[in-house]
Amino acid sequence: MTYDVPAPLVSRRKVAREMWVLGFEAAPIARTVMAGQFVNLLMRPGPLLRRPFSVYRADGDVVEIVLSAVGEGTERLLDLTRGELVSALGPLGRGFQLDAGPGRVTLISGGLGVAPMPLAARDARALGLEVAWVHGARTQAELCSEADADRYYWATDDGSTGVHGSALDAVPPSEVGHVLACGPNRMLAAVAARWPDAQVAVETYMGCGTGVCLGCAVPRTSGVYDRACTEGPVYRAGSIRWADLPAHLHYRVTA
Amino acid sequence: MSGSLDVGGVRLKSPVMAASGTFGYGTEVPLCDRRHLGGIVSKGIFLQPRLGTPPPRIAETPSGMLNAIGLQGPGVEALIRDYAPQWASWDFPVLVNVNGETVGEYAELAARLDGVPGVSGLEINISCPNVREGGMFFGNDPRSAAAVTSAVRQRTSLPVWVKLTPAVTDITEIARACEEAGADALSAVNTFVGMSFDLQSRQPRLAFHTGGLSGPAIRPLAVYLAHRTARAVSIPVVGIGGIAAAEDAMEFLLAGCRAVQVGTATFVDPNAIGKIVEGLRRYEELLRPPD
Repeated sequence: MTYDVPAPLVSRRKVAREMWVLGFEAAPIARTVMAGQFVNLLMRPGPLLRRPFSVYRADGDVVEIVLSAVGEGTERLLDLTRGELVSALGPLGRGFQLDAGPGRVTLISGGLGVAPMPLAARDARALGLEVAWVHGARTQAELCSEADADRYYWATDDGSTGVHGSALDAVPPSEVGHVLACGPNRMLAAVAARWPDAQVAVETYMGCGTGVCLGCAVPRTSGVYDRACTEGPVYRAGSIRWADLPAHLHYRVTA
Repeated sequence: MSGSLDVGGVRLKSPVMAASGTFGYGTEVPLCDRRHLGGIVSKGIFLQPRLGTPPPRIAETPSGMLNAIGLQGPGVEALIRDYAPQWASWDFPVLVNVNGETVGEYAELAARLDGVPGVSGLEINISCPNVREGGMFFGNDPRSAAAVTSAVRQRTSLPVWVKLTPAVTDITEIARACEEAGADALSAVNTFVGMSFDLQSRQPRLAFHTGGLSGPAIRPLAVYLAHRTARAVSIPVVGIGGIAAAEDAMEFLLAGCRAVQVGTATFVDPNAIGKIVEGLRRYEELLRPPD
């Protein structure tokens, strides 16, 4: 079931340098969203199209997203005042699929790839799975200050905290369970090379979020393009043709 | 707006339809008030399945979006098998948007769809900017446009609409050619070819390099072309281009269109069409012919 609800901004907190968590009251979405699913937010005034965000946390009636200002849509969201409404469409997409425990999941996130992880940790725990979380960023100040797992591991590109290197470099061999990953597509391609059975949440440009515009094409190893908004955004890592998926997305609407 | 209206042999439930490529095959869009749908035009179909273009396929631009999807689709047999049976049970008409790389392919597709329950008409796409063969190239020459139209006309008893490209010097010339070749109505207009560059990569933002521009950015251009088309022919014209509200639809109706199609607005609001049809009630007065 998909809902389109007027959602007031109810909370905002900083979780890293230039990284914020916004909370919107959107009860039907908050109550039904699964880890890895997303909401598509419309701002008026604002850019023409909605902007998709993985759900970061869902608590009671509130849905949270995490973002940095990367373009017109995110800048507008960060300018919202408390009580101001957006239209929230969701929950959308197919999230992480987890089997009941006992067992272990390893969450690997890079930068804003933390987005689906708190919900993934929640759902994994509810299934009796042990959760290890490996998070990487460029530098200490950009590491998300919130984490929810049984054990944590950090990595920074500049070595300012944790392992000097990428999140992948910080995964202790003893911790590798079922891998769930989110981050830049380049990082996910490396995840796919090491753990083809990992589940990864990919990022694409998106038009409608509902499966009709075919704008969010993801190239699959089966030869077809399918839709990040409908068959994804979570995929088996080894099922994507990474070389054909744009490695880095630019967001600014040129005006 | 209540009651149905006849547009080129298709009985629409309201004057507001879903444009091709923006409503899938009618089964996907959630939360749309389907009681208000005048009808829908399917995603463009070819005889054979098509993969479509590589990503990135879309880029937002001021008040608009560029797309180069490349007519990804399952091919006509899958459409007939998987979707048409559902359409047959719906109370609004479904037109199939028909594409080909040659005149022969358009004609064969038309023949294949003739008599298929659930298909209420054909919209011939001679205006897609995102395919390498066929598409827009048939739409910018009056002889080619007429050749496709009459080839389709001869192979089907279904109503035949032709969707025109704005990328022509004189749209009235193409419109008349299609009318003379047997078109029952014209859809005006398809997207405008556009391009946008990313400053960081110094590359076009779309993998296909060019794309079709849609959304409110094109509305005045589209109203103008729909108006010129409507004045040039006696068959009905269905206006398309950046309609997001009842007032926008009214502009096309006042410009001489019999009905309209809504596209990009559905991406923004899945119930855009429902809201537009409800909004049009406020303007019924304006649509009455003067005494």
